[in-house]
Amino acid sequence: MITSLTLQQGADWDAQADVFNEIFFVFLALGTAIGIIVVAYTLWNAYKYRDADGNGTPDEDFDPPVVGELPTGQGGPKAKKLFLSFGLSAIVVISLVVYAYGLLLYVEEGPDAGSQIEMEGDEDNLEVLVDGFQFGWDYTYANGHTETNEMIVPADTRIDIAVTSSDVWHNFGASELRFKADSIPGETAYTWFSVSSDELEQTEDGERAEFMVECFELCGSGHSQMDGTITVMPQDEFEEWYDDTESDDEGVEEWEDAFGEGGE
Amino acid sequence: MAELPPTTSVRRWLVTTNHKDIGILYTITALFFLLFGGVLALLIRVQLWDPANQVLSGLAYNEAVTAHGLIMVFWFLSPFAFGFANYFVPLQIGADDLAFPRLNALSYWMYLFSGVLLGISFFQGGTLDAGWTMYAPLNVPMYTPSIGSTGAVLALFMFVVGVTASTVNFLTSIHHSRAEGMGLMDMPMFTWSILATVWMMLFAFAALLAVGLILASDRVLGSVYFSATEGGSLLWGHLFWFFGHPEVYIVFFPALGVMLELFQTFSGRRLVGRKWVIISICLISVQSFLVWMHHMFLTTINLEIKTLMMATTIGISLPFDLLVFALIYTLIKGRIQFTTPFLFAFGALLLFILGGITGVFLGAIVLDYEFRGTYWVVAHFHYVMFGGATALFGGAYYWFPKMTGKMYDEFLGKVHFVVFFISFNMVYFSMFLAWETPRRVFEYNPAFTSIHQVGTVGAFILGLSFFIMFYNFAKSYVSGPDAGENPWDYSRTAEWAVSSPPPLENWPNRPSYASGKLEFVKDYVPDGGPAVKADEDGNAVTDGGDHHPDHIRKYPYWDKHASHASIWPFLLSAALGVLLLGLSGFNPATEFHFGSSLADFSIDIMNPIYPVLTVVGLLALIWTGWKWGMEDFYAPPSEFAERWPFEGVEKVKLGMWFFLASDVMVFGAFISAAVFIRWNAGWGTWTPIPDQLPGLINTVVLLTSSFTVILALVASHRKSRKGLLAALGATTVLGTTFLAVKAWEWWTKIYVDGVFLSTAAEPYSAVQASVYFVTTGLHAVHVIGGLLIAVFLLYRTYHGAYMEDERPVEFFGLYWHFVDIVWVFLFPLFYLF
Ligand code: HEM
Ligand SMILES: [Cu+2]
Ligand SMILES: [Cu+2]
Repeated sequence: MITSLTLQQGADWDAQADVFNEIFFVFLALGTAIGIIVVAYTLWNAYKYRDADGNGTPDEDFDPPVVGELPTGQGGPKAKKLFLSFGLSAIVVISLVVYAYGLLLYVEEGPDAGSQIEMEGDEDNLEVLVDGFQFGWDYTYANGHTETNEMIVPADTRIDIAVTSSDVWHNFGASELRFKADSIPGETAYTWFSVSSDELEQTEDGERAEFMVECFELCGSGHSQMDGTITVMPQDEFEEWYDDTESDDEGVEEWEDAFGEGGE
Repeated sequence: MAELPPTTSVRRWLVTTNHKDIGILYTITALFFLLFGGVLALLIRVQLWDPANQVLSGLAYNEAVTAHGLIMVFWFLSPFAFGFANYFVPLQIGADDLAFPRLNALSYWMYLFSGVLLGISFFQGGTLDAGWTMYAPLNVPMYTPSIGSTGAVLALFMFVVGVTASTVNFLTSIHHSRAEGMGLMDMPMFTWSILATVWMMLFAFAALLAVGLILASDRVLGSVYFSATEGGSLLWGHLFWFFGHPEVYIVFFPALGVMLELFQTFSGRRLVGRKWVIISICLISVQSFLVWMHHMFLTTINLEIKTLMMATTIGISLPFDLLVFALIYTLIKGRIQFTTPFLFAFGALLLFILGGITGVFLGAIVLDYEFRGTYWVVAHFHYVMFGGATALFGGAYYWFPKMTGKMYDEFLGKVHFVVFFISFNMVYFSMFLAWETPRRVFEYNPAFTSIHQVGTVGAFILGLSFFIMFYNFAKSYVSGPDAGENPWDYSRTAEWAVSSPPPLENWPNRPSYASGKLEFVKDYVPDGGPAVKADEDGNAVTDGGDHHPDHIRKYPYWDKHASHASIWPFLLSAALGVLLLGLSGFNPATEFHFGSSLADFSIDIMNPIYPVLTVVGLLALIWTGWKWGMEDFYAPPSEFAERWPFEGVEKVKLGMWFFLASDVMVFGAFISAAVFIRWNAGWGTWTPIPDQLPGLINTVVLLTSSFTVILALVASHRKSRKGLLAALGATTVLGTTFLAVKAWEWWTKIYVDGVFLSTAAEPYSAVQASVYFVTTGLHAVHVIGGLLIAVFLLYRTYHGAYMEDERPVEFFGLYWHFVDIVWVFLFPLFYLF
């Protein structure tokens, strides 16, 4: 755990999933530990100070409140303890969040193009426009070609997506890949993901990996069924597929609205 | 109608304005909504049993999810807590009743009828199906066309109106009627939590009122705020969560207050770090308005703002830490009695710890990116919110003996707790395990099926556990043993010092803490004067005369009896209910043809029911409002009270200030909406729609009317009836002039320039037209409201009123000045730039 706290950024990371998994692990470990300690301490004290013998026995130390007194509260050693525990918990919470923040910056920036990911040609990342509608997704590529519901992307490439909507508020996300973005009419949200070819090799046919896309914001009667797929294929196959697609001017315009002329 | 019928008569419950009666009404109604929302929850769980098999259509499922959320948050949780607040806050602070008993009854009836409207909406072609968060633009008729959707939105609007009245009432009561010797810091913790809650409500619910009004305008009148791509969706997000985050504390704080009380009572210890607990509560209340965008981390807000929101979110979790530790340490060295109420409060703490820890996960942006829109969020907020409700059930057991005079069955209570606690964790912990399931989705990944089935089984057990409670309460109410004044060994607060249930006016004699503990003192009441303190034999103490502040000495009330009954709150709420029911179907039932000139204007009525209801409701509303104003209802202020920091302020005036503060928020939200939309559309691309000249004229007219209102007050002060009539008359004329100029302006816009709500001719955009008509329209509605009051005052003045008591004129003046000041902001925004 200590190592993962100091380990700010894995050298072999290439996906948001890696970041998420590490932070989630750290939070879960600390959260569970703290939860158990606090709950156990509480239960133990509740048990220890239970009123075992009824309330008959007089006790010098015990000075219960009475009806109609103006409340004073207790000071003394307990109040000191209160601040001690408060201080400790504050330190834990704040350091956790500072740590998580460092990694947020990584997620926001995306990995350096070319670090772990081998890029083909002069284009180092693929830019795809995602447009949500009731109830499905359109994916528009730089040449204006639009696919519906299946997003086809190459492996070992950083995929930059721009997400918008043509009707209501949706949310585009793939749980396994651990990325998500709001799909809001009139707005464009950006995020990225990538899949390494190692993962393709682990699939059944060893060629293509498929990931489920779901909608994470209630968007109407078909919200439950609003899923799709991301199909990842080797780079050369993708090139082949892409070259076969027909370009479309309207699509290019929309794509350029999101990514600028000719992309970044 | 001053006499209050006995509790066995139905009429009693329709006319009562007593805080204890109303507390009981709130509690029972809220429990009814718990059942209603609970049945919907079970429907949801049945649907989740198997991702491939469904009992509900997609639309019906969304309706169930939406109504479940709305009902539990609005119609169950808060009203349940406010049932106790109604009953016990006045008792805990030593007051006879809330500051405005009639208004309190009005809040209750608005709550009830708003719930009825929500129920009706299911039968108006299906209720709203956009989720309790009602994200735009799914919430506009294009995507949720049913009449019932509008019905649900208007039901929420009505609920909020009732809440606003209640907020003003509690704020005034707690700040104005505390028994002598009870400073703010001396208040019991439950009352403290309610005070913090109502302060948050004052501002948060005003934002909800504003956003609800805008939505209602989009749905009923056809404006286009939330469907606008110029930031419409985000506008909803910001306004809703600006309300929504404080709201989560608003529902939690009363529960926290109950926990703080019960931990002390059942351990026999006093709260550890009391002062710091109070400071934490105040801090949280302020901070709660600074974190709302943590619900919007995935939208297009920029990294700097996200970072800020992350910091404030973590900041707000720190005072919660302190509260949790204070609760735990209070138990140490105590004599803990594991009664049913304590078990529930203790269980609530455990649940809250888990909910809080998982909240910290959500506060870390990277994690939230994944958790957003999944069952992690659903599990988190059920642990904190329903965890809070757990404490409230503890409160129900705790106060049951006081409210009914009977003791509940301890064994059944404990059984309830055990079943409740286990099944609670079955339902909600399973959600953490299946967290990757998207929210509000029933065709989920089949890998999670068995986990969701555990949740469904748990949900049914959880639902059934409440019948143990209902049975226990019903049986004990009928045949339980008498509870006596104080069944608990270590209770402290004043409600336990009077009989169970307490008498109508609460106290045997005036409660006072002047000596440092609760005593009942007898005052000496001279003929024709306010009470003065008396010595033990009942003779007036003459140690330097009259200690009353000005406002108590000035106005005669001590020769009148306090009233406890009025039918107008009930009737007025019913009238508003009818009006809103009419409005819900008004748009689809009518078609307006504006034609090319006013002469061509015509209305087609396709279905007369809704328009008729609208008109009947509106007339009834005006009539009941008038009768309300004419009724002779006395709610005397407490004579000896702690009022810090409002010592010198008269009771109704204080209430008026609180109301205006919330209205400032409403206009603030409208103006922010206008600015936000314009900024998104490109600030410079808008040029003013109306001409400057009529705006300028109206500015002068309104400012002059502010002056005539001051003249009215002066006339009333001098007891000059003619002067008052003249000044009020002048104000009315000026207000009417303002409206006439406004009408002319709108007429030119519509018929000459072709600009109307959603159809704007070049160079204006539809949303710009909406913003202009709706914002200035809201102001015009305020002017119309003011004119109605002015006419009422004129009528009463004519019949000789306000010569002895000038206060109503003064309060009207405050309101009128406020309306004028708002215009001073609207004028440059819409006419100049
Ligand atoms: C330790 C303190 C807490 C933190 C750090 C925290 C943080 C958060 C965050 C960041 C979210 C947004 C999740 C998302 O939609 O992505 C959230 C949701 C929510 N929280 Fe908390 N929370 C805390 C305590 C509470 C409490 C005390 C309550 C209520 C009693 C509460 C009720 C809710 C509700 C109702 C939602 C979800 C609203 C919705 O989307 O429908 N939270 N919380
Ligand atoms: Cu969706
Ligand atoms: Cu929040």
